[in-house]
Amino acid sequence: MLEFVARSLNASTVFTIAALGELIGQRSGILNVGIEGVMLFGATVGFIVAKTTGSYVLGCLAAMAIGGLIAALHGFFSITLGGDQVVNGMGIWIMGFGLTSYIGYPYTGPLGLERIPGVLGISPFFFLALALVVLTWWMFSSTSLGLRIRSAGENPSVTEVSGINVTRTRYLSVVVSGMLMGLGGGIYSLSYNPVWSINFLLGWGFIALALVFFSMWNPFILLAGSVLFGTLWQLSLNPQLVLPDIMSRYLWRTVPFIMTIGVLVIMSTKWFSSRFGAAKPEALGQSYEKE
Amino acid sequence: MRLGSYEVKLEKKVKVTALQATIISLLAILIGLALVGLIFLQAGVNPLTGFRAIFAYGFANPFGLPLTINRSVFILLCTCAFIVPMKAGVWNIGTAGQLYGGALGTFGVALALGARESQTPSLSPVLVIVLMMLGAILGGALIGAIPGFLKGRFNTNEIVVTMMLNSIGYWLIAFMIKEGGAFMGGGGEGTGFKLSESVFGPTVWGQTFTIPIALGVAVLLYFLFAKSTLGYQIRAFGLSPSAAKYAGIDPQNVPLVVFIIGGMIAGLAGYHYFAAVPGLYKIPTNYGDFGDLSFYGIICGLISQGNPLAAIPFALLFGGLTNGGRFVQGQLHLGYGIDYALLGILMITLVAFQFFYRNTIVWEKMEREA
Repeated sequence: MLEFVARSLNASTVFTIAALGELIGQRSGILNVGIEGVMLFGATVGFIVAKTTGSYVLGCLAAMAIGGLIAALHGFFSITLGGDQVVNGMGIWIMGFGLTSYIGYPYTGPLGLERIPGVLGISPFFFLALALVVLTWWMFSSTSLGLRIRSAGENPSVTEVSGINVTRTRYLSVVVSGMLMGLGGGIYSLSYNPVWSINFLLGWGFIALALVFFSMWNPFILLAGSVLFGTLWQLSLNPQLVLPDIMSRYLWRTVPFIMTIGVLVIMSTKWFSSRFGAAKPEALGQSYEKE
Repeated sequence: MRLGSYEVKLEKKVKVTALQATIISLLAILIGLALVGLIFLQAGVNPLTGFRAIFAYGFANPFGLPLTINRSVFILLCTCAFIVPMKAGVWNIGTAGQLYGGALGTFGVALALGARESQTPSLSPVLVIVLMMLGAILGGALIGAIPGFLKGRFNTNEIVVTMMLNSIGYWLIAFMIKEGGAFMGGGGEGTGFKLSESVFGPTVWGQTFTIPIALGVAVLLYFLFAKSTLGYQIRAFGLSPSAAKYAGIDPQNVPLVVFIIGGMIAGLAGYHYFAAVPGLYKIPTNYGDFGDLSFYGIICGLISQGNPLAAIPFALLFGGLTNGGRFVQGQLHLGYGIDYALLGILMITLVAFQFFYRNTIVWEKMEREA
């Protein structure tokens, strides 16, 4: 049972860190539906670097670096070229899916490093995730940087007039956002599931995207949602822990995805949005052009 | 921006002519292929040798060409399944899930009518084939209806929902064909049952009958958008959902309708590959590869700017490229997945080129300052 709890928390770590990245980007007004692609890059490049150098630290740094780079590309398309952010995000996702399949294939198989020691089976990354949640919350609620990012996502033209460079703020948010997504992917491939195979993220990035909508852009709700989905994922892998022999194990695998749809639907009802929906960044997904 | 004695400016394009769109699309593909050339270089293969081998196998080889055509038909159907919602401004990245639904519909009907291998169907084979196709259309439509309904009713993000349904569809097929599932094949591990020979998709000159069907779907869609009221309503909704409302279009119904149509077509793509392409006639273990291949529909739909007729040559090109790519990676000892790399690179180049559909670069000679 303890092992199950630990595995669930380790799974939720990946969701939390990647989704925090998406949240920061969205707060600045940039929607990246390609989070799955950024995470795949982080997971694959982090895995390759760690496997060839034998260093977890280098693996994580590489995952963050590639994540930041790929997100910057999305930023370039969305901020500088001003394209449709949804189309750009789909491009990032399919590029990540296609290129990592090719780049990672020669490294198919286990990582082959000694596992990172944890506390009662909980990986140290979980505590990093907790710290990042608090830090993000603090940044948005109490710092001028957080205020700048939020105002760029709420009303960019007013922000610009008040003397803040919207483009620079958005780029900064997007790069940090990508570094976190990449790190999330890296934690997946270095700690949670250190065996590379094609498209081994199995839609986790899209679940993380849904979690951001679910969180109402609040890091603490995001953490709670991540723990819920981490547990659900673990349960779908080991259904015998709760309900033995009720459903085929293949059907159990669909449960987290069905739940994600369910949560999204509740979120999008009038009842919900009229009560809690005000948190959505007003200019989310809109490109901004300086007059 | 100044370059020498020229002033370089960007101007917004109001309208893109068909010729301009074609040139931009072809340029995007050429640049994408040039980038793939870098992968060849990195792998120690002369890019010209690589591309010559890809095109030779994909388009001029008696074994390769039929495979290319089968892939192209599949990609064309997935493109159409992507285009219909795209015209209404919603994104169907769930063609994979919908084609899995189509596959389940196809084989569900086959099983119910006793059309497994070494059985004799209870109805005339022609009727069984028609019903299997209807099953495919229904299966795809059911999966497609979910994001459509949720989008129309609650404005739920269709990208996440379709993506979730891709995974759900994937595991549903695993459930049906593996470990004692109802569609499990005899002997082989983890594949679906094989169809009775009498209900194999008919062939003309060795080619499957789904080729004209796919072309027909593309032509039909073209006229749907060009001539029909429904097509007009879909396009109007795509341009502005709120304006469409005042034109008397029910904003809840449009997403549902476009996703159902898209799902029906994607379902047919599932029928095509698993029940009509010569040599397969079952759901194979690697059915997930076909879900991946369906993502070419997104590229093809974007590059043809939502025009189903323009999608035909692009679908043929991508069919040949992926098929040839698969072939040469063995022949030239490249790493696995050159067709995946191609998918990723083409997609991102195309996204970058979206810029040129919207902007023109204007060069103006500056007057010399006095």
